[in-house]
Parts: sequence; structure tokens; C-alpha cells
Amino acid sequence: MARGVLPVAGLLAALLLLGCGEKQQRSEQLSKAEIEGQWRYENDCAECHENPQPDLHKQPPNLHGLFLRKSLPSGAPATDAQVRKTIVGGRGTMPAFDRRLREEDVGDLVKYLHQLK
Amino acid sequence: MLLLTVSIGCNRTRKYPLQGEVVGKNLATGEITVNHGDIPGFMPAMAMPYRVKDPAVAQEVQPGDKIAAEVVVGKDPSDYWLEDVRITDESGRVQAKPPAAPQMLMPGARVPDFALINQDGRKIRLSDFAGKALLVTFIYTRCPMPNFCPRLSSQFARIQNELKKNPEDYGKSHLLTISFDPKYDTPAVLRKYGLAYLDGDAGGFSHWDFASTNPTDLRRLAQAFGLAYQEEGNQISHTMSIVLIAPDSTVAKFWFTDWTWAELMESLQQAARATGKGEGK
Repeated sequence: MARGVLPVAGLLAALLLLGCGEKQQRSEQLSKAEIEGQWRYENDCAECHENPQPDLHKQPPNLHGLFLRKSLPSGAPATDAQVRKTIVGGRGTMPAFDRRLREEDVGDLVKYLHQLK
Repeated sequence: MLLLTVSIGCNRTRKYPLQGEVVGKNLATGEITVNHGDIPGFMPAMAMPYRVKDPAVAQEVQPGDKIAAEVVVGKDPSDYWLEDVRITDESGRVQAKPPAAPQMLMPGARVPDFALINQDGRKIRLSDFAGKALLVTFIYTRCPMPNFCPRLSSQFARIQNELKKNPEDYGKSHLLTISFDPKYDTPAVLRKYGLAYLDGDAGGFSHWDFASTNPTDLRRLAQAFGLAYQEEGNQISHTMSIVLIAPDSTVAKFWFTDWTWAELMESLQQAARATGKGEGK
């Protein structure tokens, strides 16, 4: 597979997943890493964190504006390191994503979470 | 062109191409279970049931068929189905799977004894729970799909909490969650996972074990209880299976595709009340 195909496909998928209006406008201001992170978010996080999950034991928190507050929903400080730790190792009923995401994927995701207002 | 694509995406359902192998079907619900590759933007590679828009298709396809189709996702992302299903290769149909159900136990069959290691690193056996109604299911702790392992564990947590309100039923029943990912799900990982669903109450482990065993016994257990799982990359594709083992160590009931926590609990209570023994672990 040509090296250029995947990023372009990722960009297309990200745009498709974006939906409408405000989100679409915001995507135009995202960096390449943030767009990759957005694709990850939509793929790996959104199903739980964007939708109510009445069947789950604990409701996954909404992550919009995560870094606008001093602390995370868990009470830990809202730092990149703490968010990275949660993604990689899981927390409570949230599964660990250490085998699913590469280090750079997690980095992109954290960058995107900064933009998720 | 991009904007046009995006604007189309705004108002319509989304479609994703799927390729995979049919591993099961349920004509009653019009669903076929497909073991498929990664569907970028929608679903990682796994085996899962899909509703088929055209009921005739569910009739036509057979386990072993390779198919291509489109997954259509409605406005509500949990509403998805298959359209334009095409059989691309039917050479693996039926004959390729003569012993299709290797040694799956039928209801009424006696459950062979299996040894497992639980969240405390302690050896337990299925026979430890003889005399109790035992509800067993399978998970792996890294499962990221909310409708799969997290849902199963959440339902077991609900049953655990509801049963506590009835000490007699609680004493005559037991829950067992078995991981099919023993390499990752060590006793320490299972303990942490279990505590999250027990709200930190380690006392709950006396009624709900989280355990695993060696790969060979896991395969045998999975066969016996109708579970399919396969490592694919860093994830595990799997089906779901819940089995209720009666106090006399026979299979009382299986659930594979459709159940509620209340239904599971009711069956568990009925099985628990069917015995006067109440002994065991």
C-alpha cells in the first residue's frame, strides 16, 4: 500500500465522521496530529463517551472541555500525563488501551482532547 | 468534493464496506453473525451479529460462506444493519465444518470439572460451586466494545447487587467471569477489573469470581460453552456466551444473542431455589 494512502483515508474518514456545522468548521483549524487524534476519538472513544450507556455499570464521562477544568472527572489533575495514563492503563470500568493504541496514537488523541471543547 | 461528501454524510445514513465469513445465523431475529475484518470508522475486526435488511438473505447464506456487504448505520449509531449482501465464496459451506459443534454441551448435560485461577491467585474448580446455581460468562478486560464485555460485566454487577437483597438466593448462587485473555488478564488485572464492578468491595469476590486458566483448558471450556474467540492483532474477536449451571452440575441454560439482566437473574434464582442444599464454596 502506498504510504500516502492511509493519512488521506484517515482525513477523509475524519471528515465524514465529523458530521455537520460547528464540528466541520472546527476541523479546518485542526493540525494533522489533531485530525488523526479526532479519528481515533471517533473510532475508539466516542461510542462510550459521546452516547449515554444505560446498560453500563458506570456512565463514561463526557470529555468535552476536559482540559478546561483543573481536574479530571476522577479528581486527578487535568494534565496530559494523567490523561495518557488513563487511556493506556484504563481506569475503573474503562478498559486499558495499551495494546490497541500505539504511543503516537495516544499522543494524537491527547492533542485532540485539548481541542474538544 | 470533500465538502460535498461531508454534506452528504450530514443527512444520510453512513455506509461501510464489510467483508467476512458467516459463522452463524438466527432466522428468528433475521440476524447473521459475521467474522469480519477491520471496518475503519465503524468497528474493529471481530465476529458479531448483524441484522439483515432482506430476510431472504438470512435464509440464503450459510455458515462458512464468505460474503461482501454494506454495513448501514442509521442516525442512531446503535442502529445498524447489512444491505447488498453478496456471497463471494460458498466453497467453505457446511461440508467444511463437519464437527461444527465440537463438544458443546447441551442443556441437561453434566459439566466436566475445570480448574481455574481466580483474582486472588487461588485455584478454584467448577465443582467448588456444586450445590449452588452458577452463572458463567466470558470476557477479556481490554474489550473496548460497550455492547460486549463491559455490558456482560455490568449485567453481572447488577445481578450481584440485586441478589444481595435476598440473602437466601445470594447464598445459593455464584457468579463466575472467565477471561479468555490469560496472558494479559493476570490475577492482579482481574482483581482490579472485578473491584471496579464490585464498587471496591472485595467482599463481593466471595460471590463473584473472576478467573482464567491455561490456553488448552480455555479452548475446552469455550467449546463446551459455545464460545468462539480468536486473537487478531492486539485485540480478540469473540462471540458471547452465558451459561447457567444448575446445583447438580448440569447445564440448565445458555444465552448467546439475546437476554436481559433480569432474565438472567430470574433463571439463576429459579435454579438456586430448586435445591435445598445450599452448600458449596
